[in-house]
Amino acid sequence: MHEPLVILDPTDERAVIGRQLAARPEQLTGTLGIVDIAKPRGDVFLDELERLIRERLPALQVLRLRKPTYTKPSPPDLRDEVSSRCQAVIQALAD
Amino acid sequence: MSELPALGAMASAFTLSTGDNQVVAFGDGDAVPTLLVFFKHDCATCDLTLPLVERLHTALSAEGLRVVGISQDAVAHTSDVVARHHLSFTVALDGDLEVSADYGFDAVPALVLVGPDRAVVASFEGFTRPDLLTLTERTAAACGAAAPRLVHDGDGLPEHRPGCGSKVHDPDVARRLAVRRGAATLGARRVQVPIADDPFDFLSAQGLDDGLPVVPPTEARVLRMLDGTQRAASDVVAHVPPNLAPATVEKIAINAVMAGCRPEYLPVVIAATEAACTDQFNLHGVLATTYFVAPVIVVNGPIRRAIDLNCGANLFGQGFRANATIGRALQLVVRNIGGGKPGGVDMSTLGQPGKFTCCVGELEEASCWEPFHVERGFAADTSTVTVFAGEAPRAIRDQLSRTAPSLGASMGMCLQSMAHPKLAHVGEALLVVCPEHIRIFEQDGYTKADLRARIQEATARPLRELLPDADCQKGMTLRAVPNALLGPDGQPTAEGLETPLSKFQQDTDILVMVAGGTTGKFSAFLGGWANGAAGSMAVTREIRP
Repeated sequence: MHEPLVILDPTDERAVIGRQLAARPEQLTGTLGIVDIAKPRGDVFLDELERLIRERLPALQVLRLRKPTYTKPSPPDLRDEVSSRCQAVIQALAD
Repeated sequence: MSELPALGAMASAFTLSTGDNQVVAFGDGDAVPTLLVFFKHDCATCDLTLPLVERLHTALSAEGLRVVGISQDAVAHTSDVVARHHLSFTVALDGDLEVSADYGFDAVPALVLVGPDRAVVASFEGFTRPDLLTLTERTAAACGAAAPRLVHDGDGLPEHRPGCGSKVHDPDVARRLAVRRGAATLGARRVQVPIADDPFDFLSAQGLDDGLPVVPPTEARVLRMLDGTQRAASDVVAHVPPNLAPATVEKIAINAVMAGCRPEYLPVVIAATEAACTDQFNLHGVLATTYFVAPVIVVNGPIRRAIDLNCGANLFGQGFRANATIGRALQLVVRNIGGGKPGGVDMSTLGQPGKFTCCVGELEEASCWEPFHVERGFAADTSTVTVFAGEAPRAIRDQLSRTAPSLGASMGMCLQSMAHPKLAHVGEALLVVCPEHIRIFEQDGYTKADLRARIQEATARPLRELLPDADCQKGMTLRAVPNALLGPDGQPTAEGLETPLSKFQQDTDILVMVAGGTTGKFSAFLGGWANGAAGSMAVTREIRP
């Protein structure tokens, strides 16, 4: 007897939720978060970036933040801090 | 276990066919006494009973008795039985065993006498003289005839002889029947492969494979896989990164089928999944990193022999089903359940072949040291799996060392290159000591601790040599340099620059196992990934049935 082959779904069977990128601000106001993901020498790049931003946008508040380790996703507390205190965020990868 | 229909119960109707495709229908307006005889060809009790049924048929067919033999075999074996016993009654084939399953007996022969009203009048399994006598009397009564004498002196028939197992209970058949009858309790979504599609192409097109063909995970195969564990199919083993999706035993079994595992490997795959999904192993990071690492599975304990896991020659190579499919199953779990795919969360720059599969066993029998898992806190007779985030194996070639300190130094020199010779404190390494090398350590009474200390000694370099310089801009970053070697300005002190640093932050970062072929003075090491708890550390879990 020839029956159609039926297989079992090996996936988690959950629909993936598409996420929209946040709207890009027209200009930087309020607090800018700068998140160091803790890769070696990321701080070198971000220090220079912070210097330039403070020089050119003196009215902007800058909040420096750092992930405990680049090897793991951001802890919830860090994500909460970014979303509650910052109007924009720069997160950089370096090596 | 199941039972024949109770006396008085309505016998199930069926439609089967004979070996020459004649339709045999029962139960729709027969209105004659019918004797159903279930049998299979390789059953001595059937051979004993069928000639007696033939006698009954010969005696009472003229009185209105209908006899239907129901064979559990295919045509060829059925024809043999018919010829062997000169059966003159109709014999139908129950190839799918659906009718056998409906009648609920455990053994053949099984005889069911059904009255003209389809109510069961007599039934029994196996052979017993009293049951045969009762059945004969009731058959004759149903036909309104005198009971024939079936058993003659000199027949040599026993009083009692147990039957043989009905084929319904053969493992593969039982699973298939369970699925077809909806008795199976698997929760996964059923996906019908379009009839015109090649199943292998279909699975690949759905993005469910690793680039090599996977075994289609049919219900029967998954049920057979689940026989490999005592755990319930619905048990959640872990939440698999990156999507942190729940991995049930059933979902792991589906992926193990696809990888080509045998059922007895399933407990290893389950334990490996559990170990890989711990915070300490950090599977999300292992997957997402641009670095080379893949989960390397090391198996210890009695299960290695039970499942024929290679611990010897060609350890990391091809040709061993347990090794090849267990590692692959874990990767498919990560891909299909966790959602971690190359080009998605898996961002490795170069990857490595071990990302298809990497599972090895320790050759505990060749070692003078306590086994890897015992060192990690488990009993020797406990089977364990350890996952380690490792690079591909790299050679330690030393045919000349004849003393343990020399060989230990050799190993240290090779390990110095892990990640980069100017990097110290870069995490764990897995050192695989081959049998010819372990004999040198054994001969000198070298312990694992001695070997680790020798490696640390051989790899020690003054901090000065490990910092970036004009000759080579790569080196340790100041953040990675121990604070004790830095001054108040955050720069290395003069004394700090001359302080030797060993390759490994602590001796125990060197994981040591013994394995490989008996010939060749070739050991190996697998470099790890990011350092300590902030990165990935090896995790060991017990393999439970």
